[in-house]
Amino acid sequence: MSAGTGTGTGTDTGTGTGTGAGGAAPYRSKLPPARDGFWQLLRAEFTKLRSVDRWLLTLLAGVVVTVLVSLVSAGGSEMATSDDGGGSGTEAADRVADSFRFVHRPLAGDGSVTARVTDLTLGRGTDAPWAKAGLIVKAGTEPGSPYVALMRTHEHGVRLQYGFEHDVAGGAVAGDAPVWLRLTREGDRLTGYESADGERWREVGSVSAAGLPRTARAGLFVAAPETVRVERSFGSLSIGAGPSEATGVFDNVRLEGGGSGGSSSGAGGGSGAGAWQDEAVGPPSGPAAANGPVGGTERAGGTFTVTGSGDIGPRPPAGDLTWMSLAGAQVGLIAFAALGVLFITAEYKRGMIRTTFTAGPRRGRVLVAKGVVLAAAAFAAGLAAAVVSFLVGQRALRAGGHRPPQFPEVSLADGPALRAVVGTGLLLALVALFALGLGALLRHTAAAVTLVVVPFVLPLVLGGGLPLGAVEWLFRVTPVAGFGVQSTTPHYEQVETVCLPEDGCMPQGPWTGLGVLAVWAAVVLALAAWRLRRRDA
Amino acid sequence: MAASEATIEVRELRKRFGPVAAVDGLSFTVVPGQVTGFVGPNGAGKSTTMRIVLGLDAPDAGSALVGGRPYAALRRPLQHVGAALDAAAVHPSRRGRDHLLWLAHSHGLPPRRVDELLEQVGLAAAGRRRVGGYSLGMRQRLGIAAALLGDPPVLLFDEPVNGLDPEGIRWIRGFLRRLAAEGRAVLVSSHLMSELQDTADHLVVIGRGRLVADMPVAEVLAAASDSRVALRTGARERAMTVLAAAGATVAATGRESLTVSGLAAERVAELLGAEAVPFSELAAHRASLEEAYMELTRGEAEFAAGPEGEDPR
Repeated sequence: MSAGTGTGTGTDTGTGTGTGAGGAAPYRSKLPPARDGFWQLLRAEFTKLRSVDRWLLTLLAGVVVTVLVSLVSAGGSEMATSDDGGGSGTEAADRVADSFRFVHRPLAGDGSVTARVTDLTLGRGTDAPWAKAGLIVKAGTEPGSPYVALMRTHEHGVRLQYGFEHDVAGGAVAGDAPVWLRLTREGDRLTGYESADGERWREVGSVSAAGLPRTARAGLFVAAPETVRVERSFGSLSIGAGPSEATGVFDNVRLEGGGSGGSSSGAGGGSGAGAWQDEAVGPPSGPAAANGPVGGTERAGGTFTVTGSGDIGPRPPAGDLTWMSLAGAQVGLIAFAALGVLFITAEYKRGMIRTTFTAGPRRGRVLVAKGVVLAAAAFAAGLAAAVVSFLVGQRALRAGGHRPPQFPEVSLADGPALRAVVGTGLLLALVALFALGLGALLRHTAAAVTLVVVPFVLPLVLGGGLPLGAVEWLFRVTPVAGFGVQSTTPHYEQVETVCLPEDGCMPQGPWTGLGVLAVWAAVVLALAAWRLRRRDA
Repeated sequence: MAASEATIEVRELRKRFGPVAAVDGLSFTVVPGQVTGFVGPNGAGKSTTMRIVLGLDAPDAGSALVGGRPYAALRRPLQHVGAALDAAAVHPSRRGRDHLLWLAHSHGLPPRRVDELLEQVGLAAAGRRRVGGYSLGMRQRLGIAAALLGDPPVLLFDEPVNGLDPEGIRWIRGFLRRLAAEGRAVLVSSHLMSELQDTADHLVVIGRGRLVADMPVAEVLAAASDSRVALRTGARERAMTVLAAAGATVAATGRESLTVSGLAAERVAELLGAEAVPFSELAAHRASLEEAYMELTRGEAEFAAGPEGEDPR
């Protein structure tokens, strides 16, 4: 019988409630005060990263794939080098182009050479914007010997060039207007001047005469580089090189100063006519070689009509060995992208992001901490992958016949190679950051991984099938521009080369390219941070 | 009441997900020293409210304060509030201990604290194993350990009893009561009132995002069991006459049994005694908490028969 005690059992707890609310002292923790600064967030995110074995395996897979693909692609590239290739001269001469038509006299000590270039015309079938006619002071007629040259070019105005690599722009030449040039040696300086009328002179540039002997050869020259044609449409690439020839017309030619004779050698070709020597410097190059030496010189009174072929300038290596040995990063990046995406989407998938944001309510800061930890880990792994790829890749390339002189040896101690290797680590870290941002935006693993990988893989894989202009555009503005940091092919404005982005010839400088990728990563992360703060977790 | 460190204050909270008002003008206070049950059918807005309290979702209107401040303004939040929302919200490849460890690192707490808690929740041995291999009960314990890491005065548990075996249920009840006895404010949600019967001191009942009841458990029970008395008597007709004359509603439920409403059991006994009506049994009907809850939420249980899916997220 339980008459009248309907609420009896509840009474205990009922009273307990009353005292609990009012009486018992609220809880005080005995833990020392904690800290929740940025450093603590970094440690938390690092602990997350290292405590999922699968993620570490992903990173390791990224390293292994990068190295293996680099090795395979380097080993698969065979190069037949002809032994007589090195016979033409010194190694230095092989790295430069030095063939042209030279009309010269000795110049001892200080002096100057002056001429008016009245015309520069290209031979039939020649398309050479860098065809040139002008004045040159050169140590001798040996190919590869030091020189300083002042010239008018077919499409690039007046230039002062020296040391095979250097190129200083002068004024523009309007149409076929004649242009006056003067090259002066004074002590250890050579200075180039240009003028429209032979009276008012403007300095183009002044350079050191280092390497030039006291008595050098000075005179007129004409050169026209090979015509290079790259035609590419969907699926087909054709590279054509054709012979070239240019003709320059000079008058008012004066050589002043310490000639072998006197102070002033005949203006306009008077007295010392016999002293002018005319010869072709350097080996005829390219298809022209088959037709024998090109060019010659005709004199009519004071007018020299000089026809020549060839070029004076750097000869970029036939392939970018550093780029070739780092090719594995193009595939390895997929693992880095996957890790970057997973580092955030794994938290969304299971709802752990809520725990993350209750521990760190400042979400932007959490994302930054994630980014720092991820980038550091990806950089370390990427750098290791790049160093190993480079070392084994160089061995494989040498074994495959990529040897000097056509392919100068590269080592990690070379500035450009070191930049490419360290840059590859940075590149992979940026790929991971870009992926982190997309993961945070999309909150979906597969979608985000696809969206990261596609812009990288498509230009690299399909690049060969697109018109050159489209590929260059892709490599300039899309995230794949980051691969520019792997390129060590030197760029010389004054040399026309076959330049294909998928072979490592990037349309912009290495750091600019990496910067483009960095901007992409930054923009995506900024968007992600903005959305994280606004959206419910 | 002064805004104590150990309180949760929800004021006029509103949150819509598209056309659905998940929380619709909800106000209540969770005070220290007791377990507050947060009850409502699935989809009533419990989880949404908890997420708003934790600063995870932004309310459309109203406020949710912890110790007088919004969650986002808390420095070292794990030392103010501990929460176990979803036992499955742990990466399955991570070891239990590592999960607690990253949380501890986020507040500069020593690894020693992690081991203490693993010991406390009975996971000392399992801490080195991957969470993927944990039973649901073990994950619940891991979640509770995570909530307690910062030793906070305010604790929120979302359906902590889900998936526990009877032994686990007994353990967690004792655990929650002990936390409250230490002077903490403990908010425990459940869609089953019976789970809270022996645990909660106070109930906040919601349905369709609105407050249905906010009162001590004892009062909820009393309100529901109020004035229904079962009577067994050989003199059924006389008893009915006497009690009806005293203003009660009397219904015959069998040849010798009656149900009386409108009069307390003591009063029934007194009346029958005075008129010398014999009776063999007199029992005040005791509603279970579940029945009381059904009573309270009748008409509010919009999603009661729906899937387990909880609130829209």
